[in-house]
Amino acid sequence: MAFLEVKDLKVHFPIKGGIFGRTVDHIKAVDGVSFELEKGKTYGLVGESGSGKTTTGRAIIGLNNITSGSVTYEGQDITNIRRAKSSVRKDIQMIFQDPYSSLNPKKRVLDIVAEPIRNFESMTKKEERIRVQELMELVGLSPESILKYPHEFSGGQRQRIGIARAVALKPKLIVADEPVSALDVSVQAQVLNFMQDIQKELDLTYLFIGHDLGVIKHMCDHIGIMYRGRYVEEGTVNDIFTNPQHIYTKRLVAAIPDIDPNKRAEQRAFRKEVQTEYEQSFNDYFDEEGLAYDLKPISDTHLVALPEKG
Amino acid sequence: METNKGVVDEKALKAQKSPSGISIIWRELVKDKLAFGSLIFLVLISVFVYGTAIFLDQDEIVTVDLFSIHQPPSEEFWLGTDYGGRDIFGQLIIGTRNSLTIGVLVTLMTGIIGIVFGLVAGYYGGHVDNILMRILDFFLVLPFMMIVIVFVAIVPKYSVLTFSLIMTAFLWMGIARLIRSKALQEKELDYVQASKTLGSSNFKIMFTQVLPNLSSLIIVTMTLNLAANIGLESGLSFLGFGFPESTPSLGTLLGYARNPQTLEFRWWIWVPASVLILLLMLAIRNVGEALKRATDARQRRG
Amino acid sequence: MWKFTVRRLLIMIPQIIALSIVIFVLAQMMPGDALSGMIDPNVDPERLEELREKHGWNDPWYVQYADWVGGLMQGDLGQSFRFKMDVTELIGQRIVNSFWLSLATLLFTYLIAIPLGIISGRYNDTLLDQTITGYTYIGFATPLFIFGLVMLWVFGFMLGWFPTSGSVTPGLEAGTFEYFVSKVNHLILPALSMALITTVSTVQYLRNEIIDTKQRDFILTARAKGASESRVYNRHILRNSLLPIAAFFGFEITSLIGGTIFIENIFGYPGMGQLFLESITMRDYTVVTAVTLLFGIASIVGALLSDIILSLVDPRIRIK
Repeated sequence: MAFLEVKDLKVHFPIKGGIFGRTVDHIKAVDGVSFELEKGKTYGLVGESGSGKTTTGRAIIGLNNITSGSVTYEGQDITNIRRAKSSVRKDIQMIFQDPYSSLNPKKRVLDIVAEPIRNFESMTKKEERIRVQELMELVGLSPESILKYPHEFSGGQRQRIGIARAVALKPKLIVADEPVSALDVSVQAQVLNFMQDIQKELDLTYLFIGHDLGVIKHMCDHIGIMYRGRYVEEGTVNDIFTNPQHIYTKRLVAAIPDIDPNKRAEQRAFRKEVQTEYEQSFNDYFDEEGLAYDLKPISDTHLVALPEKG
Repeated sequence: METNKGVVDEKALKAQKSPSGISIIWRELVKDKLAFGSLIFLVLISVFVYGTAIFLDQDEIVTVDLFSIHQPPSEEFWLGTDYGGRDIFGQLIIGTRNSLTIGVLVTLMTGIIGIVFGLVAGYYGGHVDNILMRILDFFLVLPFMMIVIVFVAIVPKYSVLTFSLIMTAFLWMGIARLIRSKALQEKELDYVQASKTLGSSNFKIMFTQVLPNLSSLIIVTMTLNLAANIGLESGLSFLGFGFPESTPSLGTLLGYARNPQTLEFRWWIWVPASVLILLLMLAIRNVGEALKRATDARQRRG
Repeated sequence: MWKFTVRRLLIMIPQIIALSIVIFVLAQMMPGDALSGMIDPNVDPERLEELREKHGWNDPWYVQYADWVGGLMQGDLGQSFRFKMDVTELIGQRIVNSFWLSLATLLFTYLIAIPLGIISGRYNDTLLDQTITGYTYIGFATPLFIFGLVMLWVFGFMLGWFPTSGSVTPGLEAGTFEYFVSKVNHLILPALSMALITTVSTVQYLRNEIIDTKQRDFILTARAKGASESRVYNRHILRNSLLPIAAFFGFEITSLIGGTIFIENIFGYPGMGQLFLESITMRDYTVVTAVTLLFGIASIVGALLSDIILSLVDPRIRIK
């Protein structure tokens, strides 16, 4: 039994039009996505903006309505879990992309971090305060600053507050939606390493959503690559980075910057080559609508969306 | 884990505590001389009229005294008397009290209805919003003045409460619309999504997460509404469709000026009330505008 | 464009139906028979019951409503109990006066608002601008009826420059030049009083709009290209700032309706607002319901006009 299993997930948004505002069409933000998460590991969901990776994450945690498909958490179907106070809500938490809008500007840090605790646990004011201060220490912030407002912290510090809030209930799975893309590069590594530390400490599973392959490579064990709401390739880090099969993946991997200046010319030639291949064989890898085909296994861990042969 | 870990000296906490939003706005208001002066004026007037009104007998003041009709200001009647020989100064005090009371009452009631309505419409959006906004649009196109006048004319016995209920029924839309459009923006922010994943119910998110972010807007709007509501009430009383004469309001005194004789020759009946209304409205607006500037400034600073 | 207009027109239909229902309910609450006006509201209840039975007014409410709406469609607004004449005819006499008063008010409103707004916006933060801003600030706080009273007191009674009541000096023959002059003379003071108060929001809006536009990139570009200051204002800024003012036109109608009730009452001007107040005091309820209905429809149409003009001016609105 998988820790978290997503089966044929579809999230469609209606497009309204006409005089009466009826639904005339759908945007298929996520269209048939399946994957499994292993406990204690990090699964990376990669794609360009608009590929449906964030929608997938938000659908799993219940922020977007699921059109069809199922989400199973430890054997329990949580596809349509909407109730505010369920144990699943407690177990699955989220880290948001924007550390500025994800913390309520009118609340003190104490109230922000204590919000989940107040929803699920009954603690006295004093216990609650101590717990929040412990969490602040855990994420490396001063416990004395719990009466400050979020705007008094820097972006990286705010993201740490967001993480403290997410781990306050000792969750098992955290959906991290591009947790560092809004931060300065210098702070990114700090936050990422810190996320890995608490993963070990609290035995967390991450669903890590991102577009920066460098970050994904650093963080993840398994990777799924999305394009226009569908998977194009899925595999271990090794599968994806050393043996990409789909032309879209190849292009992504080729685009990772290399810091070795001696290889600059080589890199450029390689990128060009991949680009020409991409342009020439685009129709072989995508159907008439430009969407990816269904995934087919090419090894135990590696799946690629290739057309039927013949 | 060590038992004492995380326990921090209360003093250190206090030292790092940041002032709340309201206290910052208050500080800004005090700095604004005109607005602070206006606020003091309003407080003094309120204390005076509510204080004096305790010792004044409303029934005695509104009792007709045929021996002292239309007297100009004198030792006995500081501001003269009206066509029923009633003391204008006493009516002025009681009228101010009644006008203020109803203004505050209507502002609070419209505020509560408008906030709840607007929050629900904006937060849920979609169909809920559509239906609620259709209802609101409908109230908005009703000819407010006329319907209130008709109500007052046909409801047989009305009191301060029923009168303010009638006014409230047609005055909650403005603030509801404002709150709704702000809530629509606010709910898209991640902190609302975060609260959902943290297990807070919609009700809790609306009133404990979103509402505080609208507080400055609400304070400013309600202050400005207070001025508008006092104006509306005195306008209706002026036309004779507000309070009955036995419960004078500032508008009642002005209503006497609809008689050309009073308007032309007996200024003491209507001029003091006019000046008082004008001063009240200006003072409230001063405070409201200053609050608006203060909250804008605070937003700029982040 | 047409899509938005059609949708907006469709929204109007339920609004008008709802309005008619509210007025119908109000009319049912009034004593006597407020829809037809054939019964004296002061008649004793027993006799009333008899009369109701006789005229078939004990029909279920939906039959009565249907009859009433059917009558409205044919322009039958019932009978005025007081004047013993058709309400349609009675309103016909008054509506002309209200029309002229509204037109004069609108004219004054824009005549005041546009120059003041432009001056205030163009020369912002000068002494002139501060004076204008001060006027709008006080204008916002002043209730219309107090201002009307003061205007009447000063210009009507103390200075005697204008007549203090009515819409025309009695005894003049319609169609003569004196008649026309007297009409205009009776209009000026009430229209000006209302305009001076209602115009302040437009002045303020125009001022903010101009100051806002002044700092936009395309204006800076026009300046950088070397366009003269008057060209920048006439060709670029005013075109952008005056259009939204047009959209205020519809809202103006709604605020006029509330305003005329006060102004006509203070200046004794025989228009619709005055008719409404007179009728309600005289318990002539047929007239009350008819006037309320007409004013209600007028404000619905006003909102419609605003939305359509606004959608013409600002294409973004059409999307939603």
